[in-house]
Order: sequence, then C-alpha cells, then structure tokens
Amino acid sequence: MGHEELFEQLKQAIIAQDEDAVLAGVDAALAAGVEPKTIIDQGLLPGLNVIGEQFECEDIFLPELMQAALAFQAAMAVLEPKIKESGNAGPKKGKIVLGTVKGDLHSIGKNILKLLFETSGFEVWDLGIDVDLFKFVDKAKEVDADIIAMSALLTTTLVGQRDVIEALKGQGTRERYKVIIGGGATTQGWADSIGADGWAGSAYEAINLATRLVS
Amino acid sequence: MGFAELLTPHEVRRTHEASLEVLEAVGIAAHNPRAREIFASHGCSVDSETGVVRFPADVVETYRALAPPSFTFRGRDPQFDRTIPDDGPIVVTGSSAPNVVDPVTGVERRATSTDIATIAHLINELPGFDIFSISTLADDAPEGQFSLSRFYPALKNCLKPVRSNTPNMDDLRQVIALGELIAGGADAYRERPVINHHYCPMVSPLSMDVDSTEAVLWLTERGLPVYTTVVPNAGLTAPMTMMGCLVVGNAEFLAITAFQQMVKEGTPVIYASLPTVADMRSGAYAPGAIETGMLLAAQAQLARFYNVPAGGYIGLTNAHSDDAQSGFETGMNTVLGVTAGATLLNMGGLFSSLMAFDYAKCVIDNEIALMDKRVWRGLEFSEDNLALAEIAAVGPGGSYMGRQHTKARMKTTAVLPRLADRGMRGQWEEAGRPDIHSRALAEARRILAAPNPAVWDAALDAAIRERFPGLVAGDAVTLEAPQE
Repeated sequence: MGHEELFEQLKQAIIAQDEDAVLAGVDAALAAGVEPKTIIDQGLLPGLNVIGEQFECEDIFLPELMQAALAFQAAMAVLEPKIKESGNAGPKKGKIVLGTVKGDLHSIGKNILKLLFETSGFEVWDLGIDVDLFKFVDKAKEVDADIIAMSALLTTTLVGQRDVIEALKGQGTRERYKVIIGGGATTQGWADSIGADGWAGSAYEAINLATRLVS
Repeated sequence: MGFAELLTPHEVRRTHEASLEVLEAVGIAAHNPRAREIFASHGCSVDSETGVVRFPADVVETYRALAPPSFTFRGRDPQFDRTIPDDGPIVVTGSSAPNVVDPVTGVERRATSTDIATIAHLINELPGFDIFSISTLADDAPEGQFSLSRFYPALKNCLKPVRSNTPNMDDLRQVIALGELIAGGADAYRERPVINHHYCPMVSPLSMDVDSTEAVLWLTERGLPVYTTVVPNAGLTAPMTMMGCLVVGNAEFLAITAFQQMVKEGTPVIYASLPTVADMRSGAYAPGAIETGMLLAAQAQLARFYNVPAGGYIGLTNAHSDDAQSGFETGMNTVLGVTAGATLLNMGGLFSSLMAFDYAKCVIDNEIALMDKRVWRGLEFSEDNLALAEIAAVGPGGSYMGRQHTKARMKTTAVLPRLADRGMRGQWEEAGRPDIHSRALAEARRILAAPNPAVWDAALDAAIRERFPGLVAGDAVTLEAPQE
C-alpha cells in the first residue's frame, strides 16, 4: 500500500470516529516506515479538519466530535513517545492550566474542553474540580503556563474566576498569563467585567480562542 | 382532577426498582466525609478509598418511607405560608441569575441588591407567585456579605416566603442570624423559620458535593426547612434516554432523601428536579425543551409513589427575550407539570437559561402561573355546575349573557388576564401595536410606581443594620408609572 493510501485510510478512520481503525492505520503506517510526525500531519490532522468542518455545519454532533478526538488521542499515545525518542518533538501550541473553580464540582464541560485542547495541540494541566484560587496561581507559575482556563457552572461560584484574576493582579503576575473563562454560568459580559482575556460559549469555540491568544 | 400519567403503574414500580439497583450496584460518590460517616452508620457500605457509598435496597426503602407527605414554606406574614401538595400548585421565581435586564434602560447588566429589593416588591404584589426564590445575585455585595446582600433586601421587601441558598457555612450562619432578628429571637425563629433553604448537593451523575451537603446536614439536624433539587442532564450527566435520565435523577433523589432521614427522621422533603436532555448538536443546556416538562411529569408520578410533594424548575426558557419561544417553553412545560400533579413550579422571571432576570418576563410568567393554577382547579365537576336548571330556563336559542347565574360566576370561571390581548385589531393598532413585552413592562412599572407595603418597620431595620455593619441599603427603586 502506498503512503498516500495509508494517509487516506487514517483520515477516513478519524472521520468515521473509529478508534480501532485509527490504531490499525497508525500501526500500518509505522510498519511501512512512515515518520510518526508525518502520520500526524498527513493522516490524522486532515481527518480532524474534516471533523471540525462537519461539526460546525451540524453534520455531526458533539458526541461524534468527541469520539473523533478520543481516537486521535489514542493514536497520539502511540506516536508521541516515538517522536520524543527521535528527538524531533515540535513545540506544543501552548501550555494551559485548566480547572473548575472553588465550590463547583461540575467536570463534564471541563473534561470535554481538556480533550479538545489536547487534540488541537496544547499541553494541559487539569487541576480538576473545586479548585482553590492559589492552586491555579501556583500551578500556572510552576509550569510557566500561557493560559489559565477556568470553568464555572453555578452562578454562585463564578466569583471564583474573579478571585483568581484579582490574586494574579495582587501578585503582579496578571500580565504573564492569558486568562480565559467559560461554563454555563458565564457570559462575555462577565468576562469583560472581571478583566478576563477571553470567553467562549462552547468547548469548540474555546479552542479557537486559545489558539488566537497564543499566536 | 385526575392527573396525567406518562408512565403506567408497572413502569413506575420498575423505575423505582431500577433506581434501587443503581444505588446498590453503582452507588453514590459522597465527597463530604461527615455524609460518608452517616451513610456508614446507617447500613450503607462505604468504600474508604473511592468514597463511593452503596445502598442496600432495604436501607433505602426504610429511610425514604420516613419522609412525610408535605412541605411547608413560611413567610414573614403567616397568611402567605404555603404547604404542598395541599396548597398547590405553588409558583416560585427562578433563582440566582447573575444578570438583570434593567427595567428603565432595557440593557442587560450585572444584578445588584437594589434589583433584589425591587424584584421582591414586584413578587410581593403579583398574585400568581407564592414564593420568592431570590432571583439574582448581588454584584454590589460587600466583602463577606455575599448572601446577606441577597437575603436582606429580599426579606425586607416581601411578605411571602423567601427561598434561596448560601455558598458556605459562614454565609448560612449569617443568614440564620438575620432570620432570628426578624423573628424576634432564636426561639421564635425555631417556631417560625421564615427563611426557606434550598440546595443542590447531588451533582449528576450520582455524586454528592461537600459544601451544599454540609449545609443540608446542618439545617436538617436543626429541623430548619431545607429541600434539594436533583439535576440530571441526559447525554452529559445521564444516559441519552428519557428513562435512563429518570433513573439517575430518581436514584439521586432517593439517596439525598435517605440521607436527610438518617440525619433526622421525619424531615420534610420535596421531590424537586431540573431534568434536561442536552442538545447534542453542541452540548447546549436546554431547560426550556419539552423533554424537561415530560421528565418532570414522570417525576411527579414517582413522587406520588413515594407519597412526597413534587415539582422543581420547570418552564424555564432558553430564549433571550420575551418572544414566542419564551412563551411556549414556559407555558407548555408548566402545563405538563401541573396536569401531572407537580405542586412546586420554579418558573418565573428568568430567560437565557437562568442567566438573566427580566421584569416583563416576570409579569408574563405571573399570568402563565394564574393559568396553571386555573388548570389545577379543573372543571369543578358537580351536579350544581352541570347547570341543568339554567339550561332549561334559557331554553333553545336563548342567551346566557344577561342571567343572574352568569353574573354570579363571570369573575371566577375563567382567568381574566391583564396581558393577553382580547381586543380588536383596530384597537391594538391604535394603541401603537404594543407587544407582550411592552404590555408586561408597563404592568411592572405600574406596580413598582406604588409604595411597597411589605417593608418592615424602622426599629427592626435599625437593629439589623447595627448587627451587620456595612450592609447594603436593600431598598427597592420606585419606577415612573406608564402613561395610561
């Protein structure tokens, strides 16, 4: 099988959201001697691009987008160690510290976002749920993050997002990071009022937002 | 009135059994350590590593059966106390929106304690509403007074029962202290607790949080009124079937109900819920969707099976203005709930999926609430109401218009709406083609132009302000009445 054909199979496997087929395609490409990075660039990413377009025009729904992303991540789990071994790891798009704010235990939206961030090339530190403001601040400092991303579903907990921004200001480190917020309780107006760098109404929009902020 | 039933009796029983199976086999992840101890000491098994609590079916059956059949909300004025199901359906405002649409400028902005005071005045006057669940947050809250800045303006301006939550124990204690001042002491407050607490300790799927659980535990131990809402979301936090969503929500209701009974036997509860099916095109939250009404109707049936009052958040809308979507989402869903026997309807005043309070929406919802209550009254079957003597007296081809029988009943048989337009098209055009939003806003302004009779006396206010220095003013704004 020629390389072009292998890439096409991988692309179609991503579009079909078929993790088994993606992994089989990755194995076949590696066996044919294709560089891991080429497999990603010419097989997997073209598939993800189609998935993104299909999602935007509602040809596919969110669960399908997620399955495609999961299939992609499964492939990356095989390919990334090989790329590291070869010392050819390209730079990540950016580093993101992610979490749901203090008092709020809602994780599902945040987890969807984590998956999509990673799929689109970001490195993500997920602090989980009910995250104390200093955990955000300390982790961002520790990993030299580009972006702090905070979720809040409850209207009674969203002040936690403002608290983090205020704490960053207090420490004089606000300018070091881009702070983005989201979650059911948030709006663009709230983001503006607390001085966040961005807001997104969905995980998918958040990817575009984060990409814009680091480029 | 017979209730609408979406499930057969067999299906109700099977849903109950399935919920027991879930509680026994899958369990609940309880994040609050005290809650885990309580479950463990009342017959549940607790996995010390994961915090997952598993419930033997007989334990659930024993404790859920201790929940009494009614729940009472108390207001500053006892004439506004409401007990469900007997006084049902009782209508409650939607709560805790961060934003408000300014009644003068029409611009959406962050809500303040002054908005809460003004909304409290409005709710006090609108006859369709029974309970004021504090509609918004207060962006102007001073440091350390997040909840006080909501409860104080609400209670000060409304004689009807006030309901809300608090984010932590410090806030809860402050709010109780406020209640005790209003009641005239701790003993008087225990006698008539005028603050009605509500929390969502169950986080779908099948988890229990730390802070709200702590508040529910603390209040339940003290015999103070508190109820909870379960919020399963099919496709995200529950299976993508109506029945799967129902089972997850029901298991969560049974877990929190058993918990409250373990803490204090005979604690009144409400089977309250906000069930949704997510819009899977984007994952969007859809509380206004018809599936919410259907699920809530099914939960009302389950609540009858458990002999506890039922209801919850229903008639919320995803719409962003007082348009047809807003009307059909609130109207269709609440009618479904009422016909199925739900007696608590958290429905008023919010749009944009609970994100913003709108004065006009609130007045429109008041009218929908009056219609819902009319549905509840039913057709009032009686021999007398068959009106056979009247039919005979008028005879074929006659008119009922000028009859004493008609005159005696013309104000009570039908809802007489203030907003729904029943005039001729020409009159409407002459009036400048007012839409429902502008008619409702004019009604809100008319009400809010008058003084608020609910405000408490100066001595009590001074005592409260002395106890809590730096408190927000808590006074409603007076609006300019519309030109008649």
